[in-house]
Parts: sequence; structure tokens; C-alpha cells
Amino acid sequence: MSIIIKELYKKYGEVVIFENFNLVFKKNKITGILGPSGSGKTTLLNLCSGLEQPDSGMIEGINPQAISYIFQEPRLLPWRTVRENLRFVFKEKSIKKPGSHDLDIDAMLELVGLATVGDHYPQELSGGMRQRVSIARAFLYPSELLLMDEPFSSLDCALKNRLIEDFSKIWEQDKRTVIFVSHNEDEIRRLAQEVLTFSDKPVQLLKKEILG
Amino acid sequence: MKISTFLENKRNKATKKIIGKIGVALFWVLLWALAAWWVDSPLVLPSPLTTLAGVITLAGDFEFFVSIGITLLRVFGGVFISVLLGLLLGLAGGLNKPFYEIMNPFVSTIKSLPVVSVIILINLWIASGLVPLVVTFLICFPVTWTNVVQGVRTTDKKLLQMAKIYNVEQSRIIRDIYLPSIKPYAVSALMNAIGLGWKVTVTAEVLANALPSIGMNLYYSKIYLETDLLFSWTLVIVICSLAIEKITLYVIGNNRKGDGQCPLS
Repeated sequence: MSIIIKELYKKYGEVVIFENFNLVFKKNKITGILGPSGSGKTTLLNLCSGLEQPDSGMIEGINPQAISYIFQEPRLLPWRTVRENLRFVFKEKSIKKPGSHDLDIDAMLELVGLATVGDHYPQELSGGMRQRVSIARAFLYPSELLLMDEPFSSLDCALKNRLIEDFSKIWEQDKRTVIFVSHNEDEIRRLAQEVLTFSDKPVQLLKKEILG
Repeated sequence: MKISTFLENKRNKATKKIIGKIGVALFWVLLWALAAWWVDSPLVLPSPLTTLAGVITLAGDFEFFVSIGITLLRVFGGVFISVLLGLLLGLAGGLNKPFYEIMNPFVSTIKSLPVVSVIILINLWIASGLVPLVVTFLICFPVTWTNVVQGVRTTDKKLLQMAKIYNVEQSRIIRDIYLPSIKPYAVSALMNAIGLGWKVTVTAEVLANALPSIGMNLYYSKIYLETDLLFSWTLVIVICSLAIEKITLYVIGNNRKGDGQCPLS
């Protein structure tokens, strides 16, 4: 089922971010959103994830229990190892037998090239490695919708390219609905199948492109 | 070769630091000895040697160790209960605003009460031997409660948002986010409570006539004008307090190593 945004209205104080805003995100596709800084891209992700509530309007087609989020910064628990950070998002009740999740975790760490650092703490890793852990966490969590808020913005060019490749590789194996927000057009065009361009506040859809 | 030089330098630095500390301690002991020599009356100011001799004499009596043991039990009992309840209720207060609103006036009132009033009041209600324990709890609990509430409130909101998105159970959020976040605040509260606990316990022992105790030995030394023993008991308190502080810091330090690279815990 696609994600449908109907007559969305949201404001902060006197600043109107969304006013009678309508949009549809296609299922199992990567939709990239471009727009100026502070235009409301992150607000849209927060509304979709339930971190914020709309003042009025509806967002349909989202199971709040099945959302992953790759933030701008990795948001890892500094006092837990990489493996423990990944285990953190598993639910106790969903564990069938001891250690069963570790098989998934090992496979995912292998996939993102972090097989040797599972027992390291986040601060022992580079920025790129930490963000890869965050990507691994998002894919390990059984979500239907994956939200990404400028996940590559703090990385240098070479690292960004590698992470985009890694991400594509994982997504090809596990196609989920992805909403990817960035102000970097190159990142968006390399990953997304559909590109939406937002105006400044109050947000309006300026352009919609289908890439593939 | 380089590593051995580095280790040697590190060892030299540590040795210099210890020698420096001993030097400072000797300076103050020397000053004390000079003052005692100048006063020339052990009744007013006994010398360091007389005080030390007094401790050795006291240590020959089994009652000495019983008094220290019972006082230690009171200090630790009071500190343990206040840290435990401070942690549990502080966590609840930090997470739940109405609970905080209910608890805050109670904690603020205890905080503003003069220690002597608390001791005398409590002594009216319960047995003398228990007064120091209860008073230590009442004085140390607000410190731990306030620290833990502050720890909960300064927990990284971004980590909490992440946990919310991934539908992590509240019990795991408390265990894996809140508890590690409040650990530095709880450790600081524990150290404060231990320091405060000693002073309050001994004071309460004197005012409540709690026996056996270090406090009552201090009191008897005072009324029998045994100033040298008064100093000896005070030295015992200082030694015990420092030893406990160092042992606690050592235990916490070892736990930190167990936490790996954790910067906060």
C-alpha cells in the first residue's frame, strides 16, 4: 500500500510549514525529496514517523510499528558495542531461541563491511563506519517504511560514494519503501527512483521526476 | 624501546605525584606539631605523635573495632538506602512529572531542615541506635534524588527518539539509555552521600547517645577532658572516611574499565 498524505496542515508558532498539502509515496520505491534547508523536509519525516503530530490532515498507509529511520547522525548508544546496538532494536518477545538474532546481525555486519568490528564501541569507529551501523540497524529492524534524513551529509565524498553503493546493495536485497530527504541533488539522483522538489515554506511540490 | 620509555615516564610521573602528596601531608603534620609544641599543653592541643599513640592504644581494645564497625554499618546502611531509593524515586521523578511535583516539596523541605533539628526530632520517635541511620538517610536522600532527576532530564533526547522509532520497550530504554546516562550523576551523588554520611552519622551518634559508636567515644573523650583521645578518634574518622572514599573510587574505576570505552558511565 502506498503512503498517502491528505490535506496536511502543520505550523510552528506563526510559521506555516504545510498547508493543505497532498502527496503519495509509492510502495517499495525510493523517493527522494529535494528542497532548500529549513523548508520542512525533516518535519515531513517526523510527521510520517510519529515523532510529531500534524495540526490537521491525515497520513495513511503507515504502520507505526514498522518504521526504520536513518538520522543525519548515527544515534548509537555510546556505552554499547556495535553488536549490542543492533540487538537493541530487536524485541525480546520476538526472540525465538538464544542467539538466533546474532545470525542476522552477523550477516548484516558482513554486508555493510563491518564484520570485524562487531565488538567495538561506536567511538572506536570512524564517522562512516558509525553511519553504516545505523544503516545496518535500519535494515535489521523489520520495517515497511525507511526514512532517511540527510544520512550522508556529514561524510566526505569518497565515503559518501561507498555508503551509497552499500545502501543500494542492501536495498536491492530487501526492497522497502524509502523516503530520502537531502539538499544534495547528486545523492538523491543516485539513489531515488522518484524525485520530488519542494518549495520553501509553506511547502509546495514544485517538480516530480520519475528516474527509473 | 619506545613503549618501555613511555611506561617509565608514566611511572616516574606517578611516583613524583605520590611524593608530592606525601610532602604536602608532612607539611601540615609538621605545622600541627609546631603548634602543639608552641601551645605546650596536650589538654588543649595534643601533638601528632601523642594522637597516633592514642590510636595505637585504642586499637588494643576490642571495643574500638566494635565501635568502628557499628558506625560503619550506620554510615553504609544510611547511604545504601538513600542511594537505592534516590535512584528508584529519582528515575520515577525524572520520567513522570506529576510524581516529581509530589516529591519535590518533600525533598526540598528535608533539604532545608537543620541537621540538629532532624536528629533531635527523630530521636523522639525511634530508638537511639537507629537514629544515625535514619538521619543519614534523610540527609543523603535529597542529594541522590536531585542528582538522579537531573541525570534523567539530561539524557540524550536523540537516543530516546531513536528508541521510540524502533518501538523499544520502556524497560530496555531504562536499562540501556537512562541508567547509563544517569550513572555519572549517581556516582557523584554516591560520593557526596558517603562524605556527608560520615559527618551526619557521627553527629547523630553524639546527639542521640547511640551506643556503641565512634560518636559516643568522641563525646566521652570530651567530657572526661581526654583531648588526646578526642584527636585519636577524629584521626580514626578521617582515616576511615578517606579509605572508604578511595575504595569506592577504585571499585567505580574498575566498573568503568568493564564498560569498555563508555565516556559517560
